[in-house]
Amino acid sequence: MVNIVYNNLMFSGFFRIVKFSFQEIVRNMSLSVMTVLILILMLLSINTLMVVRVLTDESIAAVKKQIDVSIYFNPEATTDEIQEIRDYVNAFPEVEQESFLTSDEVFVNFKKNYADSTDVLSSLNEIGTNPLGPTLIIKTRDPKDYSKIIKALSVPEYENIIEAKTFGDTETAIDRIHVITTNVQKFTYFLTILFAVIAFIIIFNTIRVAIYTQRTEIGIKRLVGATSWFIRGPYMVESLLFSIISVGLSYVLVDFFLKFLDPYISVIFDKSNLLSNYLSQNLVSILGIEFGVVFLLTIVSSGLAMRRYLKT
Amino acid sequence: MITLKSVTKKYSADSMGLNGIDLHIEPGEFVSIVGQSGTGKTTMVKLLIAEEKATSGVIEIGGWDITRLSNSDIPLLRRQIGVIFQDFKLLPKKTVAENVAFALEVAGEKRARIKQVVPRVLDIVGLSHKLNRYPTQLSGGEQQRVAMARSLVHRPKILLADEPTGNLDSINTQEIIDILKKINEFGTTILLVTHNREVVNQLKRRVVTLHDGRIISDEDNGKYRL
Repeated sequence: MVNIVYNNLMFSGFFRIVKFSFQEIVRNMSLSVMTVLILILMLLSINTLMVVRVLTDESIAAVKKQIDVSIYFNPEATTDEIQEIRDYVNAFPEVEQESFLTSDEVFVNFKKNYADSTDVLSSLNEIGTNPLGPTLIIKTRDPKDYSKIIKALSVPEYENIIEAKTFGDTETAIDRIHVITTNVQKFTYFLTILFAVIAFIIIFNTIRVAIYTQRTEIGIKRLVGATSWFIRGPYMVESLLFSIISVGLSYVLVDFFLKFLDPYISVIFDKSNLLSNYLSQNLVSILGIEFGVVFLLTIVSSGLAMRRYLKT
Repeated sequence: MITLKSVTKKYSADSMGLNGIDLHIEPGEFVSIVGQSGTGKTTMVKLLIAEEKATSGVIEIGGWDITRLSNSDIPLLRRQIGVIFQDFKLLPKKTVAENVAFALEVAGEKRARIKQVVPRVLDIVGLSHKLNRYPTQLSGGEQQRVAMARSLVHRPKILLADEPTGNLDSINTQEIIDILKKINEFGTTILLVTHNREVVNQLKRRVVTLHDGRIISDEDNGKYRL
């Protein structure tokens, strides 16, 4: 019997809390709108940073994709010797891709590249035979791994098989790209943390101001005999509603802007719907994290801000 | 009904709210607490509703020692006592009916009962025609009557009135006092904190006079003597 009464009290209390929260939102409409607007602005700035990070990662990947190392074999190198080196290179886990060009393919490419240079072409004709050896083009997963591969190939056994390696020329460029991409990534991480801190401070203060404007009401509710939870409850439900509304609206806006940006981005990266696809592929985690963080922040902020007004 | 035993409230070394107060109020009494500003009248009200804690001494309400009340028990105490203030303390974003209903809602009263009781109480204070008005749309006297309705709606045994007429003109003051007298006739113990000489003299009830945190006189059928 006591349990039934207690459960009824809990249910009626819960429904009253929900009713009060809707009442507060509607009757403090300007404050509610301002709070949601600030939450949306913060979410938009975080989402902008997400776009910047996606584009940065894509740019870094594109730059890394451009880097490769060519191993030029002696024209006299035998097929077995070349195959041995190819197998050796492929055994490295760092190697992402290797492609082999025969002497003839190298010769065709060379002529294509120097089609405008009559001097070079006439010299080739004078020789009469193909002076170029086969070429192995290697791509590693990370530019910093090139030196390891080159070092492994720079042994006396391969001295007569390998005529030249391009890595010597590109080593400095690869190192520089590695430094730049690492720094860009670090900078975007720093920006993300900075924005998160700013967002936290702004949300915390927005909620504090909202609670401050209602401190008299909180005091009156206490004097009338309301428990702390009966007073906190509506603010918690409001936090939940504000979080849902702000995350929902910011998603609609972000989705709209990404669809607008994608055609321009596709020109640069040769990928269609890059940003929209990223959003849809990570939708659950992005919205989930954003909702979780905003809800937690608003709940914690309102709880902390309200604590002092609930003391008496 | 209300007992204070050697109650002292010290704010700081040189600021004493109450100094060794002994007071006993019987059920159904109408007691006026008078005194100049800063003599401890409001401190006494704050101690009785556990808004502040006594530095020493014991306060009992209906046999319940509220001196060392835990935070979770404070709302229970406040639901047993009706309180009205000089500044009305109404919730500005709630209508008249909602303000009164709130006192029942916090106590978990059923919706049907709230719907039944609230208009009845507002009728008693003469505001049944202004149920849906907001406090800002009412006069000072009307706001105080809403506050009275709110404090009475859960039928408290005790009503504390802290300067309830402080912001009102003489006509509204008389109306509020008449309502208080009527409530007292129904058996509610009333503790009226005031410095309104006319009100106290007209009541011709028990008068407790405070000065520097001490009781300097306690007379049945007393008068305002400061």
